[in-house]
Amino acid sequence: MSEKKMQRTERKTLAYIKKDYVKTRTMPASWYLSSYKFKFNITHMQPFLKKLKEKKLVANRCSGCNRIFYPPRFVCGACLLKPDRWVDIRQTANVSTYAIAFIKNPDTGETEEKPMVLLQHDGADTCFIAELNPNIETKGTYINMPIKAHWREERTGGLMDIEYYDKIEDDAEDID
Amino acid sequence: MGRQVCCISAGFSEHASKRSDVSMPELVNEAIQDCLKKVPSVSLDDIDAFANGNMPAFEGSNIPELWMTDWLGARNKPLMRITTGGTTGGSVAIGGYYNVAAGIPGIDTVLAIAFEQQSQGDTATGLASVALGEISILNNLGISYQQISRLLSAGAAIGVAAYQATTYMSKTGITEEDLARVVVQNRRNAAKTWWAHLKMPDLTIADVLDTPYVQYPLRYGMVCPASDGVCAMLFTTEEKAKDWADIPVYVNGVASVANETAVLGYNGSGSAQLDPSVQLGAMRSAQLAYSQAGISLPRKEIDYAEVYSPFPNQELMWVEKLGLFEEATAPQMYENGITALNGELPVNCSGGVNSTNAIGASAMERPAVAALQIMGKASNQVPKTVHTSIGSGWGGSLNLITLMAMSDEPKRKWR
Repeated sequence: MSEKKMQRTERKTLAYIKKDYVKTRTMPASWYLSSYKFKFNITHMQPFLKKLKEKKLVANRCSGCNRIFYPPRFVCGACLLKPDRWVDIRQTANVSTYAIAFIKNPDTGETEEKPMVLLQHDGADTCFIAELNPNIETKGTYINMPIKAHWREERTGGLMDIEYYDKIEDDAEDID
Repeated sequence: MGRQVCCISAGFSEHASKRSDVSMPELVNEAIQDCLKKVPSVSLDDIDAFANGNMPAFEGSNIPELWMTDWLGARNKPLMRITTGGTTGGSVAIGGYYNVAAGIPGIDTVLAIAFEQQSQGDTATGLASVALGEISILNNLGISYQQISRLLSAGAAIGVAAYQATTYMSKTGITEEDLARVVVQNRRNAAKTWWAHLKMPDLTIADVLDTPYVQYPLRYGMVCPASDGVCAMLFTTEEKAKDWADIPVYVNGVASVANETAVLGYNGSGSAQLDPSVQLGAMRSAQLAYSQAGISLPRKEIDYAEVYSPFPNQELMWVEKLGLFEEATAPQMYENGITALNGELPVNCSGGVNSTNAIGASAMERPAVAALQIMGKASNQVPKTVHTSIGSGWGGSLNLITLMAMSDEPKRKWR
């Protein structure tokens, strides 16, 4: 019985095949992503997007855990409740954490340093990705840096109405 | 009540950036051969069921186990596929464990296989297809695709790790030198492991700090490679393990904990994890697995740890979060050589994910090496006797954590 087993195991090794075939052949292929459809709900975002046009920031609050979500959430993951109360939040924010990306500019070919931040708006309990003012020194970015939203001149009612975030020196003055 | 489960063997294929000499099934077969070679009395006929998995979309060929059945040796046998992104390997191992623990009649021995041949596909495209749902939402909210791709260059795996690194560095006050020290230890260990990918026996801290930044604070020399490779683990019952193996390794605790998605969050609505280095999921998984395994003082009872650390800051984070060291003391332990091969608590003596990263297989290689260290069959064996060891995994949509605690004594507590 044991001999039979050993034979079986030996037959399965690839050593004798590998003598003849030392390299695989490559066939290039590509798939198109455009044929996929993703479905998601944006109804809960509408009041938020409308207010962005008026330079106002709103977030929604879960009545179960009282967490405030910016940007608004469809459902609170912890309570499985629909956050239905709208609250105003401040334009100022804190850098929750950051990393510096080194991105090649396709036009000039130079590598640019760019701080990527996760920011927490004052009054909100969640953080979100954002861009900083390009004039802010990369090395001057730090955790808990106070920043403030800088609005675009022409606003379309999208998240990009906030062009970038400016650094503020003394947050006591900017909060009214 | 479940059964006591033992891991009696683990095998690896050789890892490299491009294994162009083999196709995916051949690569998988290599690891299975290596796994069965370590237990000569077990043949493919003795294996009752199979669990396998890899990270879908990274290779472009989905559901590969359909045309791999014969290479696995799974013809006319139960075969199940588990895939959870970065922790696929850990989840497959846990799946194999539960297959045996469940006590199904006729299923005593299960082979778990995790594989990845990344050179076949484009990892960036694979990641894009993972995040496309969220990206399309952001697109709809008014952020142009160009802008998202710029913002998300800090949002893929390295981006999340870079966020973790900056927070961890600011909390503990460590410098890049401390990160480089972890890398040097890993790559030197990898040089002694036959299947590892990046083998650098003469690497120094200065060499690592000399490479350019990929993303501050992580440099090119600090990040993990993309490898082709396979890992296989053999689980069986206590009775059969005693017959087949010299030192059966008892799997005493398993945990798989999901956490909230980092950075983009559900429907692109941000994340409630304000501090990415806190990692409540890791703490919870440690709590679960240790309570099952009867480990009350992890710092004293665990002799060897394999943690999932593609980036050096994560290794420092996980050893703290998994209860091996006090908060913010891990960098000192690396400096003092506590975690080295002949130290008090060796960590990642196989070189870790930092030196070898075949994504689907990585999270299984951790418990596999941890088991081999107890058996005394590991490639880079620690000099002291290992009684208890752990192997962790991190990934999924950057939020799933797996942990497997093993020992040479049966300690699993069923409640």
